[in-house]
Amino acid sequence: MTQQASESKATLGPVGWLFLVLGGLAMLAPFYAMFVFSTHERSDIFRVPPPLWFGEHFLDNIAILMDRIPFWINLGWSLYVGIISTALTLLFCSMAGFAFAAYEFRLKKPLFGLVMATMLIPSFLGMIPSFMIMDLLAWIDQPRALYLPAAAPAMGIFLMRQYIESAIPRELLEAARMDGCSELGIYGRIVVPLLGPAFGTLGLITFIASWNNFIGPLIVMRSVEMYTFPLALRSVQSPVDTQWGALMAGSVVAVLPLLVIFIFSSRRLIAGLTAGAVKS
Amino acid sequence: MSQRLTAQAWAPYVLVAPFVILFLVFGLFPIGFSFVLMFQSWDPVQGVSSMKYVGLENLSFALEDPLVWVSLQNTLWLAVASGLPQHLVAIPLAYLINERLGSWRNAAMGVYFLPYITSTVAIAIMFGSLFSTDYGAVNALLQSMAQWPVLSALLPAGNVDWMGQPGTIKPVVALVVFWRYVGFNTILYVAAMQSIPRDLYEAARLDGASGWRVFWHITLPQLKPMMYFGVTLSVIGGLQLFEEPFILTGGKGGIEYAGMTTAMYMYRTAFEYGDFGLASAISWLLFAVILVLTLVTNRAFRVKGG
Amino acid sequence: MVFSIRFLALPFLLCSSVWAQTVITVAAFPSVDEVVRAALPAWQKKHPNVQVKVVSREFADHHTAMTTALSASSGLPDVMTIEYGYLGRFAQSGGLEDLAQPPYAVRQHQARFVAYAWAQAQHDSFGQIALPTDIGPGAMFYRVDTLQKAGVKPEQLSADWESFLGAGKQIKDKAGVFLVAHARDVKDLVIRAGVQAGEGIYYDAQGQSLVGSAARFKRGFELAKRVRDAGLDAKVNAWSNEWGESLKRGNVTVQMMGAWLGGHLQNWLAPQSAGQWRSGPLPEGVATSWGGTFYAIPKKSAQKALAWDLIEHLTLNKAQQQLAFERFNAFPALLEGQAGAYFEQPVAYFGGQKARVLWRDTAQKIKPSRVFRNDPIAEEIVNAELDLVLTKGKSIDAALADAHRLVQRRAQR
Repeated sequence: MTQQASESKATLGPVGWLFLVLGGLAMLAPFYAMFVFSTHERSDIFRVPPPLWFGEHFLDNIAILMDRIPFWINLGWSLYVGIISTALTLLFCSMAGFAFAAYEFRLKKPLFGLVMATMLIPSFLGMIPSFMIMDLLAWIDQPRALYLPAAAPAMGIFLMRQYIESAIPRELLEAARMDGCSELGIYGRIVVPLLGPAFGTLGLITFIASWNNFIGPLIVMRSVEMYTFPLALRSVQSPVDTQWGALMAGSVVAVLPLLVIFIFSSRRLIAGLTAGAVKS
Repeated sequence: MSQRLTAQAWAPYVLVAPFVILFLVFGLFPIGFSFVLMFQSWDPVQGVSSMKYVGLENLSFALEDPLVWVSLQNTLWLAVASGLPQHLVAIPLAYLINERLGSWRNAAMGVYFLPYITSTVAIAIMFGSLFSTDYGAVNALLQSMAQWPVLSALLPAGNVDWMGQPGTIKPVVALVVFWRYVGFNTILYVAAMQSIPRDLYEAARLDGASGWRVFWHITLPQLKPMMYFGVTLSVIGGLQLFEEPFILTGGKGGIEYAGMTTAMYMYRTAFEYGDFGLASAISWLLFAVILVLTLVTNRAFRVKGG
Repeated sequence: MVFSIRFLALPFLLCSSVWAQTVITVAAFPSVDEVVRAALPAWQKKHPNVQVKVVSREFADHHTAMTTALSASSGLPDVMTIEYGYLGRFAQSGGLEDLAQPPYAVRQHQARFVAYAWAQAQHDSFGQIALPTDIGPGAMFYRVDTLQKAGVKPEQLSADWESFLGAGKQIKDKAGVFLVAHARDVKDLVIRAGVQAGEGIYYDAQGQSLVGSAARFKRGFELAKRVRDAGLDAKVNAWSNEWGESLKRGNVTVQMMGAWLGGHLQNWLAPQSAGQWRSGPLPEGVATSWGGTFYAIPKKSAQKALAWDLIEHLTLNKAQQQLAFERFNAFPALLEGQAGAYFEQPVAYFGGQKARVLWRDTAQKIKPSRVFRNDPIAEEIVNAELDLVLTKGKSIDAALADAHRLVQRRAQR
C-alpha cells in the first residue's frame, strides 16, 4: 500500500496543533519581518522595536537597488548557476552514493573515508588556493568556476548513500541483474526513479546553498555584471551607510525563487512514488 | 558470466569517478596548500613567495593561545546545545507532520523551513531587536510575566542584558541556531519516513499498537540511517559554526569572547589579523576535534546495530 | 621624460585604434564607489575612449578580494581603494606602486593634502603607496536640548575629562539620560591623545607594545571605569539597532565619532531631531581621526598612466573633492577642497552652526600616528581587557599587564 492511502485527513489532537502553530509562528516571525522591513524606509527600520506592519516604500527600495546593481542580470546568473549546480549534484551524488551503498569494491573504505574527510575541513582557508586554481584554468569571471568544483559535494554523497541503503532493497537490484540489466542500466532505470524524496531534499539543499553562496563569486567574479545575486546585494552594504530598506527588498526578491523551488521539491519529497509497489 | 562479474567490478569506479576527478582537480590542492600553510608564516598580501617556513611555531602558539581554548569550549557547548534539541524536536515533529497532517503536510514543512532561507541580515536585525536590553520584546514579555505571582520568584527582576553578558550570549546563539536548522532536519526526516514501507504500519495497526509504540518500534529503527546522517551533519556543522555567532555578535565574539567559535576565531586570524599560518594551524586543530567526534558518532550508530 | 613622451603618444595611439577601447578597473566599496562614479562624467570628457569599470563590493568583501588578488598577484584592479584600517597591511605588501617615484612624482603635491593623512600612506621601505581622498576628523556631537535641561554648558563637555564626567552626572541627575553610548568610547579617545612622533597607538617605533608603559592607557581605563561606575553609559555598541534607537530617542547625549557622522544623523539616524544636535570639539582638544580612504595603484596594473590620471582627478581636483563631500559626506583630504562656500554655510541640522568649519580646524590639528600591521588585534585585546574591568571588576593594573603581555606576544609573530 502506498503513502497516498493515509493522505488527506489531518488527525492531530489540540495540543499537537497548539505546538505546531506556536512553533510555526516562531519560524515565521523573522521571515515576516524581512517582508515588512522591505516596505519601509531606512530610518524606520533601524530602530527598536522595528516596524511590525507594512509600509509604502517597497517600490522606492527596489528602485534604489536597481540603481546600484544590474538587478536582473545578477538574478539571472544566480538562477543559471543554481540550476546547473543542482542538476550536476543530483547526478554525481546519486551515482557515487549508489556505488557506496550497493557495491563492494577494493577502494570502497578509503574512498568513503575521503568523502567524509572532505566534509570536515572548514572552507575559508581554501579560498586563496581555489583562486589560484581558477586563475590557472582561466576560469575567472566564468560561471563554471561556480558550479563545477562543488558538483559532487560529500554531504550529498553521504545523503544518497544513506537513503539508498535504507530505501532500495538488494533483492531488487539482484532481480534486475538476473533480467540482464547492465550495471549502469540498473542505476538509471531502477535506482533513479526511486530516489524521489532524496532528490527532492538534496536538490533543495543544493539549490539553496548555491543561491546563497557569495564566497565563490567573490573570489572569481571581476565585474558587477557577473555577480550572482547575494554578492550583488552585499555590494550595496556600506560600513556605515547601508540602505537597509533596499537591502531587505533585495532579500525578499532573493528568497522568492527559493520558495518556488521549495514548493516544487516538497511535492517530489512527499510523493512516495512507487516505493509501495516494490516493498511487498 | 565473467563479463557480468567484471562489469560489476568496474561499475562502482565509473560511478564514483566524477567525485574523484573533481576532488583531484579542485579539492586536493586547497587541502594540501592549507596543510603546508600550517608550517609557514604568511600574510597573503605579500604574495606567495613571501611564505616563511617556521616549523611547529604556529601550532605551539595556537596551543598556548588562551583564545583557542576559549573558542573550542564555546564551540563544543554551542554544538551540543543547538544540535541536540534540533534532533530531539525534529524527529517527533517529522512524525507528526508526516502521519497526522494529511494535506497540510507541505504547508507545515514550508513554514518550518523558512528560517533556513531567511536572509542572515534580516535574522541579525530581528533577533538583535528581540533581545535588546532596553527596547526588546523578550525582556518586555519577561517583565510583564514577572508580575504574575508564581513566576515572579523565578524570573529576574530587571531587564536581562542578553547580548552583553557572557552567560546569556551563548544560549541566545544556540537558540538562533536551533531555530535556523530544526526545519531543515525535519524535512530530512520526513523524506526518510516517506520510504518506510506502509505495510509495517498496517501490521502494527492490526496488532493494536498505539501511536507512541508505533513510533518507537517501527519509525525510529527505520530512521537509523537518516539519523546517522543528520546527527553527523549536526556534529560537523555545529563544530564549524560560524555564521550565526558572527552576525549576532557583530563579528567580534561578544563580551569575554563568549560567543566566539573556533571557526570565527580562525576567520578573524586570517582576514582581520592577516596571519594565515596561525589560522591554518587553528583550522587543523579544529579538524582533529571534528574527526574524533565524527568517529565517536560513527561508533555510536554502529553499536546500536545499524 | 621618456614617460611623458609615451604619455603624449597615447592619444594618437588611441585615435588610431578606436575599435580597441581601453578599459580600466577601479575596485571600491560603498560609498566610495559612488564617489568614483560621480566623478566619471567629468573625467571621461578628457578620455572619451576609456571605459572605466567600477567593481563594487561590500567593505570586508572588497578587502578580502584585494588580499586574494595580492596574494596571487593576479586579478588586481588598476585603481585600488583602501580604507585606513587595512592600510598597514596593504602597505607592507610590496605590491603597490610608490607614487613618490616618477612618473607620478606625487611629492610635489604633498603640501596640498592634510598632513596626517599623507603621512599615514607613507611606508619606510615601500614609499608613498597611496593617496588620501577622504578623512574622518573627530567631532563630538551632542544634544543641546538635553544640555539645557540639565543646566550644562557645552564648554563643560570640551574643557577636560573631569568636567566631561561632571557634566555627565548632571545630565543623568536632571535629564535622566545617558552621557555616552559606551564607556569604551571615552577610552578610545584618551589613548589616542599624546601619541609621540614615529609611534603608533599601540606600538612604539621599534614595534614593541606600549600598552603597559604609556600613561594614556591607564588614564583611559580609569576614566572609562568611572563612566561605567557612575552609570553614565548606555552600554550599547555603535551601529547596532539599539544604538540607532538610543540616538533617535535622545537617550545618548554625546556621540564622538568622525565628522561624517553628521551627515548620517541628518539623513537617517536621527532626522527628526534636526536642530537639536550640535557639533563641538573633543574634550581636552583631542584631535584624532576615524577612518579615511586612500587610492593606490597595484604594480601589476597594465594601465598605470590612466589609473594615475583618474586618481589625480579624484584627489587633486578641488571640484571633485567638494562634490564628494556635498553628495556623499566624504570629507576632503585635499586642503583646497576644504575651502569655499559650502564649508562656510550654516548647517540647518545643527541649528545653523557652521559645523564644517569646526571639522576643518580639527583636521589641521591631527598629528600622524604610524599604522602597524597588528593594530586591529591590539585594539581587540585592549577592548577585551577593558570589558573585564568594566563588567567583572578586574583591576586596571592587572588588565593592562595582561593586555600588554598579549599585545607584545602578537608583536613578535
